[in-house]
Amino acid sequence: MVNEIWTEKFRPKKFEEMIGQDEIVKRVKSLVLSLNIPHLMFSGPAGTGKSSLALVIVKEMYGDLWKDNYLELNASDERGIDVVRQKVKDFARTKSLGEVPFKVIFLDEADALTREAQQALRRTMENFTNTCRFILSCNYSSKIIDPIQSRCAMFRFKLLEKKDMEKIIKRIAETEKLEISEDGFQALYEASEGDCRKAINLIQSTAAVSQIINKDIVNVVTSHTKPGDIKLTLEYALSGDFQSARQKLLEIMLEQGLSGNDIIKSIQKEVWNLQIEPELKVKLTERTGEIEFRMVEGSDEFIQLEALLASFVLAGQGK
Amino acid sequence: MKKTLCEKYRANCFIDIKGQDLAIDKIKNFIKNFPAKKALIMHGPPGSGKTSIAYALASELNAEILELNASDFRNKEHLERSIKPASEQESLFKKAKLILIDEVDGIAGNEDRGGMQELLTLIDNTSHPMIITANDIWDRKFSSLIKKCELIEIKELNYVTVVKMLHDICLKEKKEVNSNVLSAIAVKARGDIRAALNDLQTVLEQKELSAEMFAERDKENSIFNALRNVFKSTFNESTLGMYDSVNLNLDEIMLWLEENIPLEYKGEELFKAYEALSLADVFRGRIHRQQHWRFLAYQNILLSAGISAAKKQAKTGFTSYKKPTRILKIWLANQKNAKKKSIAAKLAPKLHIGKKQAFKDLYVLRAVKDKDELGKELRLENEEIDYLKNF
Repeated sequence: MVNEIWTEKFRPKKFEEMIGQDEIVKRVKSLVLSLNIPHLMFSGPAGTGKSSLALVIVKEMYGDLWKDNYLELNASDERGIDVVRQKVKDFARTKSLGEVPFKVIFLDEADALTREAQQALRRTMENFTNTCRFILSCNYSSKIIDPIQSRCAMFRFKLLEKKDMEKIIKRIAETEKLEISEDGFQALYEASEGDCRKAINLIQSTAAVSQIINKDIVNVVTSHTKPGDIKLTLEYALSGDFQSARQKLLEIMLEQGLSGNDIIKSIQKEVWNLQIEPELKVKLTERTGEIEFRMVEGSDEFIQLEALLASFVLAGQGK
Repeated sequence: MKKTLCEKYRANCFIDIKGQDLAIDKIKNFIKNFPAKKALIMHGPPGSGKTSIAYALASELNAEILELNASDFRNKEHLERSIKPASEQESLFKKAKLILIDEVDGIAGNEDRGGMQELLTLIDNTSHPMIITANDIWDRKFSSLIKKCELIEIKELNYVTVVKMLHDICLKEKKEVNSNVLSAIAVKARGDIRAALNDLQTVLEQKELSAEMFAERDKENSIFNALRNVFKSTFNESTLGMYDSVNLNLDEIMLWLEENIPLEYKGEELFKAYEALSLADVFRGRIHRQQHWRFLAYQNILLSAGISAAKKQAKTGFTSYKKPTRILKIWLANQKNAKKKSIAAKLAPKLHIGKKQAFKDLYVLRAVKDKDELGKELRLENEEIDYLKNF
């Protein structure tokens, strides 16, 4: 039934089914064939195949027994390293089933762990090396402490290229009997930004509306899925109505459950759709970058975004 | 020996207690309903009359009072020795008893080891009403105590009541004090009658009286005063230390500033003020991450002088400052999103993604036709399936 969700239905099961990341797949495959893998680290943007490759590895290595030998943890969900350690311990305590002498733990979004938690994880990785291999995935390997990086074979995933995305979309279209026009494909690719999960979700949502997919339908569907009203928020701020802008911002963040990062990403894009001088757009973009930097450093998202809106108010005055 | 004014004029009955009618009514109800609740906590700022009310209550009931206060050493053995036998026995001569535990804030972790636990047991076993006083009960260590007790807030006395009380006492003492001096004492006491009486006493003992003779007590400043200073006046000598006397931590103060900056500042001022707030927040983050508390100095200066200096001239007029609402709004939104979140949490492992990503991608479930079947597989509750059907 979960197969009705296409991101699962079309998830590759074998190395041959992986599309894109050719070099990585080739190297990983030869490791798996030897039935001995080191700890692995997959770094790269969302929706580029990190989890999929991890799943392919265990399915190829353990065959039907993969579920018994595989534990998936999401670091951003498991609060505190203690939970991780306990689960790892419980899992690693029993021997692996089948001919492979170790089990595999996939720790997704490992860059969500604090430095302290990573230090603790490093010990855990060492203690269980004999019975367990780790596959860590992260968006930015720079957020992973050096001792962990040095214990892993590193693989850097790139955004999917247009030709790869085209292959994936074609495969789905064939199976689901969809008719995707050339401009429809272009629109899907642009909206997905190289993120395969996003692309597939988008196709499924669009296909629920119509079997024939063109640019217009894709645009209607994307307008429902992207953070709405950011432009409106910015326009309030430019017009000097800070209070309305502030209220709108909080509304968007809370009702759509968006993080500060989601918001600032779409602000950065929306700046270019505002009716202001290009020079001002550049200035505001620089300011947006500065605020994003402060947020990444670990400041309060809402306060930082408010400060950004205040810059838009100021920019609106000089307009 | 001469009694201090505070002792001499401590209220003997409810009629003598001024300005706390509501609280007294609630206390009478508590006694009437005893032992529905066995203990009562009166909480309020110092000098608002908590102990006086307890004594007045005792004399109204013609009851004996058994008192423990912060100066007693309140560890477990001590409590057991002194209070427990009394609390479980009927009084000699059938006289009613009240047990007063004064200033319970003083029960600390180490010296009063077991003190809080013993107090809770005492409440369960007592056959006499227990009165507990405290300044601030919203500390975590009191959470289990609060559940057992009737809560009564004692508000600080208003200015008019304090002046009236001072005036009456002067009459009784047969001393004449200039009414300006009395007002000055009342203003400086900020609702603390004990402080006011102490000041009055020093005044009465002087031959020549003036309002400047006593220094203002270094007392808690309200957040409203702090905001007024920072937003209204230009930089002055008290700006930097403005938040020191506010009874909120800097994180909470930041929420107040965040909420109220747009009420005072517009345009360029608004920009500068938020920039200062933003930078202060950056330092807050650095403190948390690196545990380098020296950064607190920068956070503090940016929040006080930084926000104050956003304007060129002092501002006039009255602004009614608002309580921060963001935390409340977040809570409300969380309630609203709770169902969506719980579905996302169940969906996440099936799709090999994190809960946050699942929350974002949940819209794709609209495309799944058989919601009941999906719900079964994800082990959703019926309400969650209904949510999906209408979403």
